[in-house]
Amino acid sequence: MTEQNDEQDDPLVVVDGLRTYYGSERLLGGEPVKAVDGVSFEIARGETFGIVGESGCGKTTLGRSILRLEDADSGTVEFDGTDLLSLGRRDLKAWRRNAQMVYQNPTSSINERMTVGRIVREPLDIHDWGMPHDRRNRVSELLDRVGLQPEHYHRYPHQFSGGQRQRIGIARALALEPDFIVLDEPVSALDVSVQAKILNLLLDLQDEYDLTYLLIAHDLSVVRHICDRVGVMYLGKLMEVGPTEQLFRSPSNPYTRALLSAIPQPDPDAGADRITLRGTPPSPRNPPTGCVFSTRCPFKIRREEHESLTTEQWDSIEEFRDVLREREKLRTTPLQRVKARLGREPPVTPIEEVVSELFELSTYPESVQETVDQTATLVVEGEFTAARELLEETFSTVCEHERPDQHQVADGQASRCHRHLSEYEEPREFLSE
Amino acid sequence: MEYRPLRERVRERPRPFLLWLLGAFVLVGIELGRIASGLVEIGDATAAALETVSGGISDALAVGGATAVAVWLGIGVTLALVGLAIATWTRATLVLRVTESIPLRPQQSLDGLVFGLALGVGGWFALQVGAVDVLARLASSVRFPLGWLGELPTLTSRETIPNQGYQTPDGTWHGTFLGLSPALAWTLRVLVVHLYVAAWLIWLWTGYLWYRNYYRQADWTPRDDVIQRLRYHRWGQFGMVVVLLFLTMAAFAPSLGTTTAEQNIYAPFSHTIEYYDEELGEVTDILVGNANLNTRSQGYAAENVGPMSYDQYDRFHPFGTLTDGSDLFTFLVHGARVSLIIGLLSVGVSAILGTVFALVSAYYRGLADLVLVVTGDTIMGVPRLLLLILLTVILADTWLASLYDGGVLLALILAATGWPFLWRSFRGPTLQIAEEDWVDAARSYGQSPSGIMRLHMLPYLVGYLLIYSSLVLGGVILAVAGLSFLGLGITAPTPEWGRAVDLGREYVATNSWHISLIPGIMVTLVVMGFNAVGDALRDAVDPQSDAGVANASETESRGGGV
Repeated sequence: MTEQNDEQDDPLVVVDGLRTYYGSERLLGGEPVKAVDGVSFEIARGETFGIVGESGCGKTTLGRSILRLEDADSGTVEFDGTDLLSLGRRDLKAWRRNAQMVYQNPTSSINERMTVGRIVREPLDIHDWGMPHDRRNRVSELLDRVGLQPEHYHRYPHQFSGGQRQRIGIARALALEPDFIVLDEPVSALDVSVQAKILNLLLDLQDEYDLTYLLIAHDLSVVRHICDRVGVMYLGKLMEVGPTEQLFRSPSNPYTRALLSAIPQPDPDAGADRITLRGTPPSPRNPPTGCVFSTRCPFKIRREEHESLTTEQWDSIEEFRDVLREREKLRTTPLQRVKARLGREPPVTPIEEVVSELFELSTYPESVQETVDQTATLVVEGEFTAARELLEETFSTVCEHERPDQHQVADGQASRCHRHLSEYEEPREFLSE
Repeated sequence: MEYRPLRERVRERPRPFLLWLLGAFVLVGIELGRIASGLVEIGDATAAALETVSGGISDALAVGGATAVAVWLGIGVTLALVGLAIATWTRATLVLRVTESIPLRPQQSLDGLVFGLALGVGGWFALQVGAVDVLARLASSVRFPLGWLGELPTLTSRETIPNQGYQTPDGTWHGTFLGLSPALAWTLRVLVVHLYVAAWLIWLWTGYLWYRNYYRQADWTPRDDVIQRLRYHRWGQFGMVVVLLFLTMAAFAPSLGTTTAEQNIYAPFSHTIEYYDEELGEVTDILVGNANLNTRSQGYAAENVGPMSYDQYDRFHPFGTLTDGSDLFTFLVHGARVSLIIGLLSVGVSAILGTVFALVSAYYRGLADLVLVVTGDTIMGVPRLLLLILLTVILADTWLASLYDGGVLLALILAATGWPFLWRSFRGPTLQIAEEDWVDAARSYGQSPSGIMRLHMLPYLVGYLLIYSSLVLGGVILAVAGLSFLGLGITAPTPEWGRAVDLGREYVATNSWHISLIPGIMVTLVVMGFNAVGDALRDAVDPQSDAGVANASETESRGGGV
């Protein structure tokens, strides 16, 4: 598949500090959705690079931005030495021969009003590929190559199954002999029995035509099956990058650990150390300051005075902070504030109940208990912002203040986490404690 | 199975094709005279229209000032658009040959301008040299043989099966087909016309089936399902029959009428008829106009010729007579032509506008969409009837109003005020189509915006286009009738259904009820027919709305898009 050494020498795709924001062009302010927020990585020739992450983490937008199907806001994408983001219309059209995309949904990615032959032929027609006769032959050859019959030329997509439709989509992507193909969840809409066949077809094609793949997936087993290297995305950021096997065997970023621990284990005892994350990812419109994962991270760095707290106690504090953040958010718009003033708030659990539910089970150090009580009083008085700030003052650490840098953790493996700094415990060590 | 062009497939198996062609030739041959004279008529009308338009333009230029500027601007924009269309469709380019440094879009527009300019210069040059004369001579040399062919007898003409004649006291009929009574002769002719139309339909259907069996390479296409679904759509079939009858009426108006339009409507005092005068005891001549004075329908028994009756001059009136004594049926069949032409013209223009605008606003969104929304909503915000009346009155004295007795003007006004309704209906579905992955995929391999709109969005709009066009066509016929009823729009004497309703208004409750009622019922039926066809097409094209009767409201809302 790939040799590690030529990855350093001459990568095919170099992405550097890519940012794609949505909705920033709106007239009336509002924070843009930071779908891709400063992502950098390289893809070597002939390699399969995987991007994994939860849905909504921006991985599809990343793929589309690389192909210039979305307009990136800043950063650069270099393809074989050319800067894609500065290409003019005509150069862009010419460049499109080199890079294609295979879509997730085989029913909506091909135009059902065209025959299969015309679908596969269209890219050839657009780029004036050879003579009409050659194009027809090329289509027959492609159909044969992806496992369809040349006589399917005159059939309509209605007459095919999902797997066969995906083969049509692959044939179309291959038509112009591209070097690079973005596979956007190519098998996630297919039956499990068909998935393996399509993946193997993709691997065969890669060998035959020296293709470079960017595979976007949320299915970790698919990634492990065909990717050479993987990037893990969370909330528009690349949390960790590394060679697949290495990353799967020894993940260093807390988020990667949490993600990988979600893979079902065939051995029930082996799955005992599963990490369950609290809550849902924050809105990409308003990501946390500092590390984007800090609101959910079970490996978060604590202040020295809080080191002695048990995991359960720390979780209670974190949850209390979550509750306050939510409460404050309920009062951000003027309309919500007016409603609160009029006493017409949405019904919420009284803060005393929340406190007793979270903190009654165990005894906390006096300073912690005091802060919690003080916060509760502020909430009762309606001072949500002050309450949130008080908790922040008491409990926040570097995780919430500073963006973590990318740290080289092993050969070819890099991760964004403050714990890789020498003054803190590595996530691995923290877990074993 | 290799792909082979249709021509090759036909060459390999020519028999069904030749047989079908033979049949088509026979069918054309039977009516060659009518087709030829129809072509001549259309050609003459086009020539007259062109003359009026060019006259109007040169008049406006002669006036000078703002009008001339506007006209020049109009000519310029039209030429540029035509040039752009040529550049886009043929993919020809001049600019690229000169320089490579211009980006794609400006290059295309530039090419459009260049082609437009070339067209304009060429046209101006042709005008100067007198190429128009050459063209006119060429046209007349084509017209001559066509005119000669137009003289050929045809199966459905009134000469072949005449129905006008007189009865002598011994009860025999003279001048009619085989001595049949005028009523029977007329019925026979109507029957023959419809049989001829039916023969064509059957032959076309046979041709389609043969194509499917012998020549088509795909063993199934989505269209097959559409046809299959139409097979069981009774309401739609009723609509199709009504629409077909209406179309036949418009196409064969001259032979369906009991008398000619000239004689009945336009020049009754230039034609004479023969009848047997009982007082004199001999066959005498009378001017049609004079005869009409005695056959008027004025509301009381003594002066009324009702449906399915003869008048004292032995003329048969299937629908009775009008207030001026002329034949209502002849008036109506010729009126069908007027309604149809106005309907097709205005719906065609507004459908093209609506489709193009919907594609543009869905593909580009943003500013383009906003501008169109504001424009469309503004037009829709003005009461349409008021706008129609206003524009008809304002433009009544211009050269536009002289085309087709004001019909073209009316059609254009209806199109200009009607496109937002179509566009609104198309916009929702088009926005949805523009979101589909295949549009994105087309962008990813470099398809141009116009290519995406044409290949990947338009095919999904065609269904909506047919549906809403047929629905709107009914509305246009109704609007034209309504305007005529108000005394606006189509000028007398050109027959228009609405005017017939207007003429008979005072007599609705009298013996002459037929004058208003019959045209009224026909308008209703035709509009209903077009709506039924629209419904059927919607159900056939969009299988998800199959619910049909069971869940009508849901079907409605889906048809409304979004």
